[in-house]
Amino acid sequence: MRADGTLAILDRWGRAALPGTVLLFFVLLTLAPLRAPYLSDTLPLLPVLVVFQFSLATPERLPGLLLLVMGILLDLLLGGPGAPVGISALGFILVRAAVISNRRYLVGVPFLFQWIGFCILCWGYVALVWAFTTLWTWAPIDPVPAMLQYIVMIVIYPLLAPLLARVRARDPLNVPELSRGSARPGETTT
Amino acid sequence: MAIRDDFEVVASQVRTVVQRFALGLLVIVTFGVMLVGKADTVLVEHARVLALDMVSPVLEAIARPVAYTNRAIADLREFASLREENARLREENARLLAWQTAARRLENENEGLRSLARFREGPEASFITARLVGDSVSAYMRGALLNVGRRVGVAPGQAVVTGEGLAGRIAEVGENSSRVLYVTDVNSRLPVLVERTRERAILVGDNSPRLRLTLLQSIAGVQTGDRIITSGHGGSFPVGIPVGEVVETSEGTVRVRPFTDFSRLEFVRVVDYGVTGLVGPAAPAPAAPPAGVRVR
Repeated sequence: MRADGTLAILDRWGRAALPGTVLLFFVLLTLAPLRAPYLSDTLPLLPVLVVFQFSLATPERLPGLLLLVMGILLDLLLGGPGAPVGISALGFILVRAAVISNRRYLVGVPFLFQWIGFCILCWGYVALVWAFTTLWTWAPIDPVPAMLQYIVMIVIYPLLAPLLARVRARDPLNVPELSRGSARPGETTT
Repeated sequence: MAIRDDFEVVASQVRTVVQRFALGLLVIVTFGVMLVGKADTVLVEHARVLALDMVSPVLEAIARPVAYTNRAIADLREFASLREENARLREENARLLAWQTAARRLENENEGLRSLARFREGPEASFITARLVGDSVSAYMRGALLNVGRRVGVAPGQAVVTGEGLAGRIAEVGENSSRVLYVTDVNSRLPVLVERTRERAILVGDNSPRLRLTLLQSIAGVQTGDRIITSGHGGSFPVGIPVGEVVETSEGTVRVRPFTDFSRLEFVRVVDYGVTGLVGPAAPAPAAPPAGVRVR
């Protein structure tokens, strides 16, 4: 069922662009001077939450190429001299791949399981970035700030995730890909 | 129907293969980007600067309301303790006036002695006032973004100071934006002096709020409470900017607490000292100091 009025087209475009826009917003928010001691330090991990949540809901609207660009942008903006550029992109892409290949355990299950899934994946991301940065700069980097980031992040998840999860409200994507039938992304349920 | 099902099965298999391949390709691309970044640092610097310049207007738009909110909260807090604050300030003012007299006297004396000794002073420093538009703080980085750039004469290596003391140095410069690397960053190495003993040392950041003092000739001479100032070695920093004070001396490590409170920085001053020394390529000097530049 697909109407082709201008509004419908706008609606489709808007919804197609939404995840990317939200991700861009969070990447920029990473640099915002909030001056809230603990929150500011955790901001760099927020894009991971967005990537996780949208990969869960609508991976089609968050293609790997977009994640590549966003990750590189994040690294360019955030990184100091010597920090690897592209590590966030690698992390994003791996998070997306992990979510997609484990969708049947993450989609349509109680929220707690999604949270646990996020805890595991986010841990992987933090460990990856830390290990890479340490190897890349060949300097002993204190892992404690990264741990703190991680802990605050998984505490924030239940607050932010339901909000982001609303993006899929009208998509019949709450079922694993194979049993979705002929429904296509962007198509509305009746 | 069966043929069509077969076709769909094959198509889905092909799709899966392509998807899998796409993942591998993307991973390879990220590694490629990282390698390029490692090999061609100049290119990455250019990309960083470009990204900073693009993003800084947006950040400035975000920073304004945040700053207003923070100021409103701070105002409310200060209202509560206005009376005590007033009394404290009056007392401090009296103390500072006494210091001012002492400073005037010393300045005169210093001038006289310098003219006697024909002492040639270093280049005159000028200041560029800047607003912080972005935090560049993560688990691996301590820094900030400023809303001034090459156009008003900011160059890599210049010192960034606050009212309390040194905050850091300019690491990257765009047309209208620049990035400060705080002294607490893991990449920060600062030649300093212990003010009391005039002993040279290097102040090393490690991303924690406390700095580490290394390469001291004798660690025994340093006491808790000693002030640490910049030594001016390396040429890019003026001499004698206060950096911090020693808070801990134990087992061969000296810890220094910076005077600057990095969590509530809003405005900073970039010190243009005329020479950028060994750090980074020298930027072309601006023809005339444009508006917004305070020259002292």
